[in-house]
Amino acid sequence: MKEELNIGFIGNPNCGKTTLFNAYTGAKLKVANWPGVTVEKKEGAMKYHEHLFKLVDLPGIYSLTSYTMEEKVSRNYILSDDVDVIIDVVDASALERNLYLTLQLIELGKPVVLALNMMDIVEERGMEIDMHRLPEMLGIPAIGVSARKKTGLEILMHAASHHKDHSTPDNLVHQHKSDKESKHVHNHHEEYAMVYSDLIEDKIDLIIEELQTHYPHLTNFRWHAIKLLEMDPEIMEKYPINRPDIIDRSYEKDIINQKYDFIEEIIEEVVVNKSKQVATTDKIDNLLTHRFLGLPIFLGIMAIVFFLTFTVGDYLKGYLEILLEWISGGATAGLEAVGAHPMLISLIVDGIIAGVGGILTFLPNIFILFLALAFLEDSGYMSRVAYVMDGIMGKIGLSGRAFIPMLLGFGCTVPAVMASRTLENRRDRLKTMLVTPFMSCSARLPIYVLFSEMFFKEHAMLVAYSMYVIGIVVAILVAFIMSRVEQVGSENSLLIELPEYKAPNARSIAIYVWEKIRDYLTKAGTTIFIASVIMWMISNIGPTGFVTDMSESFAASIGKVLVPIFTPIGLGHWQIVVALISGIAAKEIVVASCGVLYGIGNINSEQGMSDIVTLLAATGFGAVNAYALMVFCLLYVPCAATIATIKKESDSRKYTLCAVAFQLGVAWLMAFLVYQVGRLL
Amino acid sequence: MTLSEGVPGTVYKVLDVQEEASIERRLAALGLISGTNITLLNKKKKGAVIFSVRGTRFAIGKVIADGILVEVTN
Repeated sequence: MKEELNIGFIGNPNCGKTTLFNAYTGAKLKVANWPGVTVEKKEGAMKYHEHLFKLVDLPGIYSLTSYTMEEKVSRNYILSDDVDVIIDVVDASALERNLYLTLQLIELGKPVVLALNMMDIVEERGMEIDMHRLPEMLGIPAIGVSARKKTGLEILMHAASHHKDHSTPDNLVHQHKSDKESKHVHNHHEEYAMVYSDLIEDKIDLIIEELQTHYPHLTNFRWHAIKLLEMDPEIMEKYPINRPDIIDRSYEKDIINQKYDFIEEIIEEVVVNKSKQVATTDKIDNLLTHRFLGLPIFLGIMAIVFFLTFTVGDYLKGYLEILLEWISGGATAGLEAVGAHPMLISLIVDGIIAGVGGILTFLPNIFILFLALAFLEDSGYMSRVAYVMDGIMGKIGLSGRAFIPMLLGFGCTVPAVMASRTLENRRDRLKTMLVTPFMSCSARLPIYVLFSEMFFKEHAMLVAYSMYVIGIVVAILVAFIMSRVEQVGSENSLLIELPEYKAPNARSIAIYVWEKIRDYLTKAGTTIFIASVIMWMISNIGPTGFVTDMSESFAASIGKVLVPIFTPIGLGHWQIVVALISGIAAKEIVVASCGVLYGIGNINSEQGMSDIVTLLAATGFGAVNAYALMVFCLLYVPCAATIATIKKESDSRKYTLCAVAFQLGVAWLMAFLVYQVGRLL
Repeated sequence: MTLSEGVPGTVYKVLDVQEEASIERRLAALGLISGTNITLLNKKKKGAVIFSVRGTRFAIGKVIADGILVEVTN
């Protein structure tokens, strides 16, 4: 018979859930080696024999309380009827900490299957896990798997499909040590994996009686009773009982302590050779998180990342430019040969090839930048950066953890803004979302590369670097001023797991980089393509129809209206103004638009650059103007996709509008300073 | 003494955790409760520390480290 099964993947952060999920579904969800990569639940499907299994990947959590957003999302999802079986993914090499969530899941009373992930690492370390004893102590099946090496996957699904109706534990064979002298009326050890002290078990019994009277429809009385003893706010509100004599205080601490006592027993019985810890991570950490060297090392790593992006990237870009020139020339010749209308030739050569092609030549730079970021994320270095930067971030009223979104911002602002979700409180999240767009993303890189090469020749790389520095300084300054204005004592509560370092995995890096490259190509093929066509149209068509002089086009009329606002910042040219407006769709379009608006086919080539410099110089646009332009591009409204993400993450239209207005203001002010000061030099 | 006063490389026993309720809960979920042994691995001048508890490393800021009372184990 065909059956449909809904399987929820849950586990601690960084335990390899997403890797396992990808292995089953063939999905290419992002994985990395820092906690909190998965911020929302993702669904996928797989066929198991003739059955259809729906898999859900949930954000990583350490416990099932209702105090954080992720925990609430995961808990409510599991409690809902949407899930038939839970696969609890645990990092077998860190079983002691992972089992806490397991015990909570079992208590929830849904069918749970334990997936012991990273068995390959366990073996490497010479540890052994007693796979016979573990299920006996927990009352659920335990399957060893390795998501990375794709072992045990079939067996795990087999267990999940067979275990779907088992909401009560099977084959429990254990007796808690502390319970040797238990005088409790029931012997719960055959019923429940986790049995508490007599004091708590007595209270649970009494609360269950109470719940049965008032809420007879409840499905899992024991779990609700335990939650009430813990004084869980959500459950207390939903199912209040008025028995202050039983619940005289919160027993949360006692319950946690007793769970961990039991976990210690399990570890003692089940894990063999556990003392054999790898010291490699500690050795690397001694250097990378060193109290004095940590920060210089991080800055050095970032310098190398950008050096590679610019030098190696530019070297490869040269070849793409030659190719583009060849295509552009070929297209013109070909179209002329078949007698195409000059307008069509202009649209294809000056509009599409100039716009889209101009952007595609930056692919090597983007590729190298994302490759480097993938290495940083996959190695486990990311959470160390949070520690290294904690002191500096503390001064601006944020925890070191807020630096992770900012660092990701060098790649793309959209996932960076989403990563701010892992921060604890809303105030920090909003603040981080406001400053993250100042971190220069890869879409802005073409603008720097182009304009710095055009106007600063041999100092081009230095100028491009300076944009990154300005971005960071502005972000830090804004956060600092905000923390001063707010005057809220920063609780600065960094708390982050530092995973074991691991050799970057070729597959996850390939997925990561390919995703980014694909996004870039898609963007070139859609947004930038359409923007280039629109740009060509509004700059070649005017109130009088098809115009030969662009200054009579619609684009010119739009640009000229806004020129007065841009004149004080040295950007008072209608072409630049139009290019900047179009850049809101995506920042790369600024470059594409310049190519189209100045009628230069291959803006990246030697010839194209000198043409545009001559054109601009004639209107008084020099190096200072170019620098002001770059600063403006660095800081002004991030692309449309970022605005949408900020809206989604903040869930506030007002905040989003304020953020956009604020960024525009900061960009104008900084460009103004640059231009006015620069002019005097 | 507090964890932020500790010496890296030493194993400490947690005596008490005095934090804001939400942080105390999160630490408890990680298994950092009275009686647990933790190893201090690294420390910054300002008091942020790296420690390992139950086989996992964590980095915490000074404010949190100040609230963890410990004593040296024998």
